[in-house]
This record gives sequence, C-alpha cells and structure tokens, in this order.
Amino acid sequence: MSWKNIKLIFIKELVGTIRDKRTIIAMIIIPLIFYPLLFAGIGYFNKVGSMKSEEAASKIIIYGAEFAPQLVKHLQDYEKIEILVIEDDSPSKLQNGDIQAVLVIPSDYKEKIEQEEPNKLMLKYDATEAKSRIAKQRIDQVIEKYQGEILLQRLSRLNLKEEFLTPLILQEENIATAEKITGSFLAVLLPYLIIILIFTGAMHTAVDITAGEKERGTIATLLVSQISRLEIVLGKCFAVMLISFTSMVLGLFGLTLAFLSGTSIARGIEGVKFGISVNTIFLLFLVLFPLVGLASAVLVMVGIFARNIREASSYITPIYMLTIFLGIISISQGIELTGKMFLVPVLNSSFVFKELLMGKIYWSHIITTFSANIIIAGIALFGATRLFNQEEVLFRS
Amino acid sequence: MIQVEGLTKIFHDKKRGKIVAVNNLQFNCQKGQVFGLLGPNGAGKTTTLRILATMILPTKGEIMVNGLDIVKHAAKVRRQIGFLSSETGLYDRFTPRETILFFGRINGMADKIIEKRMAEIFQNLDMKDFQDVRVNKLSTGMKQKLSIARSIIHNPPVLILDEPTVGLDIITAKTVIEYVKSFRDQGKCIIYSTHIMREAEKLCDKIAIIHQGNLIAQGTLEELKKNSLFDDLEEIFFELINQGENQE
Repeated sequence: MSWKNIKLIFIKELVGTIRDKRTIIAMIIIPLIFYPLLFAGIGYFNKVGSMKSEEAASKIIIYGAEFAPQLVKHLQDYEKIEILVIEDDSPSKLQNGDIQAVLVIPSDYKEKIEQEEPNKLMLKYDATEAKSRIAKQRIDQVIEKYQGEILLQRLSRLNLKEEFLTPLILQEENIATAEKITGSFLAVLLPYLIIILIFTGAMHTAVDITAGEKERGTIATLLVSQISRLEIVLGKCFAVMLISFTSMVLGLFGLTLAFLSGTSIARGIEGVKFGISVNTIFLLFLVLFPLVGLASAVLVMVGIFARNIREASSYITPIYMLTIFLGIISISQGIELTGKMFLVPVLNSSFVFKELLMGKIYWSHIITTFSANIIIAGIALFGATRLFNQEEVLFRS
Repeated sequence: MIQVEGLTKIFHDKKRGKIVAVNNLQFNCQKGQVFGLLGPNGAGKTTTLRILATMILPTKGEIMVNGLDIVKHAAKVRRQIGFLSSETGLYDRFTPRETILFFGRINGMADKIIEKRMAEIFQNLDMKDFQDVRVNKLSTGMKQKLSIARSIIHNPPVLILDEPTVGLDIITAKTVIEYVKSFRDQGKCIIYSTHIMREAEKLCDKIAIIHQGNLIAQGTLEELKKNSLFDDLEEIFFELINQGENQE
C-alpha cells in the first residue's frame, strides 16, 4: 500500500468534487447564504406579525355588561381593549375574526359578589388566532387586577393584612453554570444536527465518486492503472471524509448564523454563554472522526455495489432514514443508553455527544463508541475493497 | 509479446445459468504487429480484452504479456499495457493536461518525465490548442485523442484498443488509424478489436474472427482469403460466421 497513490486518488476526488457546482451549492450556498436568509426572513415576518397583533386594540363584546359596571369600566380603561356594542350574531363574528373575544357576565353577578360566592364568567376566544389569544391575555390581566382589588377590599373588611394570603414563600436558586445551561441547550439538538450534516455531506460525494464513476465509464481507467484496489478505496474514502466533515462544519456555522439572524428566535437565547472547554472539544472530535469515517466507508461501499447513481440513491435512502431515526432518539428526553447499546453506531455517538455537551465524561462510553465505530468503518472499507475485486459487481449492467 | 493459450471465461448468471463467454482461445501477437479481433456484438471480444487488461480473471488458460503471467503478475502486466475502450472514460471536470498528469502519476512516473512525454504526445496528436480546456467542453474527436494520449503516457510496449473508432466521424477515425499505424511502426504490440472490416483490412497484420466465444479463423488477410471462396474480408467474415452457425 502506498500513501502516495492514496494521496493521488484523494486529491483527484477532491478537485473533481470541488469543481462540481452541486457541491458548491450544497456545501456553501445553502448553509451559509440560504439558511441565514431563510431564518432572517422567517424571524422578520414573525416579528412584524406579532408587533402588528400587539399594536392593534382587541375588539371584544360583552354580554351582560350592565350586571358588572365596575369590571366593564376596568376593561374600558385598558388602552388596547375596544368594547363593541353588537346586535347580531357574535359567534360568527368571532369565527370570522371581526372580533377577538366574547365575555359573558351572568345576571346574578352582583349578588354573588356581595354574598362573596364565586362568580363564573365565560370567555370565548379562538386559540388558533394570534389576535384572539392576545385579547384573551389582555382580558385575563384586567380580570386578575380587578380580582386583586376585590380581594384587598374583603381583607380590609376582615382587618387582615395582604400577607395573610401568602403564608409560604418558596425562593428558588438555579445553581447551573452558564456553561452547563449552554451545554444542556446544545445537547438537545446538536448531536442530531451533527449526525445529519455528516451523512448528508458524505452522501453526494460518496455516490458520485463510486456509482457515478461506473455510470460515466471512468472506473475501468483506474482499475487498469498500477494503483491497487485498496488504495483506490482508501483515497476515495478519505476524500468523502474531508467533504463530509467540511460540510458539517459549514452546516453548523450556517445554522448558527441562521439562528442568530432569525430575530425573534435570537431574543430567546440572549445571555447564553458559549463556553465549552478545550478538553470537551478534543473529546467531541475523538468521537466525531470515527463517525465521519464510518459514514464515509459505508456510503462508499454502497456506492461501489450499486450499478449507477440512481440505484445507489435508492440503497442509501433507507440508511439515511435509519440514521435520522437513531439521531431522533438522542433528542428524546429521558432516554439513557445502557453499556451494550454504545456498540450501536450513530446512536452511540449521538449519546456521547450529548453527555459531553452536558459536561459528563464517561470514559467507558467514549472508548466503546470510538472502538465500535472504527471497527465497523474498517469492516465497511474491507467490504468496499472486496467489492472492487468482484468482476460481477464492477461490470454488471 | 502476447501469448494466449486455451483462454476460457465462464460467467454464472442467476437466470441464464452458465455462460461461456470465451472458449479455448489461442493466439499470439508480436512486437510491431497489429492483431485484429473481429466479431459481431456479444462474440467475446470485450471479455477477451478485459482479461488481457487484467480487469477480470480468466476461468482457464494461460496468458503471457511480455513474458509475464497476467494472473500471477497483474500489477507488473499493467505497467506493460495501455488500454483504451468505451469503458475507459475521461473525467469531465479535468483538463487534458490534468488528466495526463494524473494518469502519469498513478502509473508511477516522475512529473518531469510526464511533462516531457506529454509535450511530445500533445504535439503529435495535435492537442495543444485544447490542453487546458475541461473535458466536458471537448468534442468526441478531441476526447478520443485524449483517451489515446492517456493510454500511451507511460509508453507501454503493448496497446489494447477496444473499438477505438466507434462513434467517431470518418476524419477523426482516419486520424486514429494513422496513430495506430505509427504506434506499430514504433514497435508496439497492438491488439485491436473492431467490427469495421475496412479498418481491419487496412490496419491488421493478423486477424482473428471470434463468434459466440469461439475462435473460428485466424491468419493474415492473405491467408484468410486463400482459405475462402471470397476476396473481400466482409464476405469472408459472413462465410465463416455462417459456417460456424451451421456446425452448431
């Protein structure tokens, strides 16, 4: 085996891939330009939409307003509530969005207040409409405030202090460090994203330089050269690994940009400190590389086996679906893997990523994951080389 | 230079069972000779050439290239041969210069030697004008010139050419034939498969006719004519094919 030959194949595949417009679109334009613009657009329209909903006054109808003049006055005093006097069918107006809420006050409201009995008011709104939800919040606020006033009056009649209502006060203190909060925030989604980006990054190149070469009739040219089949497989696999890794890094960078550019979403993560230690980063890479190698080797093997790009894509689809499934398990809260489960590729990496991001270092998990993925990648490489030696695989049509 | 003894290749197909693609072939080709393999589609020409090029293994038989057994010394044999067929496509995203550099390197040549030889080949094949244009922008004729350049960059003593003029216009085809002649004059041993009789007549020093995997005749054009009722290679070819089918 000659590293010089492996390097020649590696560079040839890399140059070929970079010169393919589809690679540039998938690796650079989509993650670095399309995602941020898309998220910025979504964020912008969300913000504009919610600002419009919040700025507009909520139009509501009150039935039985005459029974609770004080409550109605409180509602009238609220700047962004407009009480409509209505003659016709209110439910249809609520459905149409002409009005945002209907408040029904019972006729015995006054008596019940006087007798200090609970009063049942009915609020009708449409939970699927943003404006209607805002109207409900505003009415809730007014009623809560008014209820507080009634309570204070009752307490003073009984010569009781306001504190009478709060015999216990529970003070909370969150001891999680900013790093841990960041970690737990990242641990939910990052492992899944890493896995998906590695596979999607590897897929196109792996298929193009294996099944694609068969389809374009260039594979025989390599086979009659003095490069061994193992050198061809390794050169191709290393090229896929580099493309896959770069796609993942660019993808994550693009998604971070997208996340920050989505203005409405960005507000939610203000104050999050991105603090991951150097050790954690080193361990993340230690787990990452065998996974990149595993994805590349498996996809190269499948690509060599397939007759053409179409066939390769149909073989890869179930593998990709399985990867998504295994990745999704890591998103689910509360699931923990037992020892032997760390032998399952993809699943093991996603859980070790999760542990590392949460600041937990379990060496047994890291070593098992690392070894299992390296061994499976090695088997796939061996399989790919064997396939390259089988004439029925290379020349079937 | 090339000696083929009892070459047999059997494929196993799930549906069709045992397929004898090539049956007990026997021929040899010397230095400075063009050996023509003639046969209709499916006769076994491509299988024979694939075996000679070490891409697939023979089921039986002994094949020596320049004194080396192609099964035992496949890697060394590859150094001795230049192979060109419809299967040896070119990389669309590379220029002719890059293509030749790559194939020179993977054949173990030093860059200096590649550059020198490439300049000569590009001059001879009249390729300088498009040496830096990407392959996907080249015409079929230009691509075929590049394929020839690729197959001879490492200066192999043996050339295996599988229908090198297929799909080319007559002018380019003529140019290709001229190159093959010049390679013969340089002393190379050339195995040339074709189904174009005129080409075989003009080019081949020896001709073998293969039909359904069997070698049904071989010799110089004169020898073939002597054993036939006809004077034209095409007529001889049909006569032999018909005889072969009647014998079965």
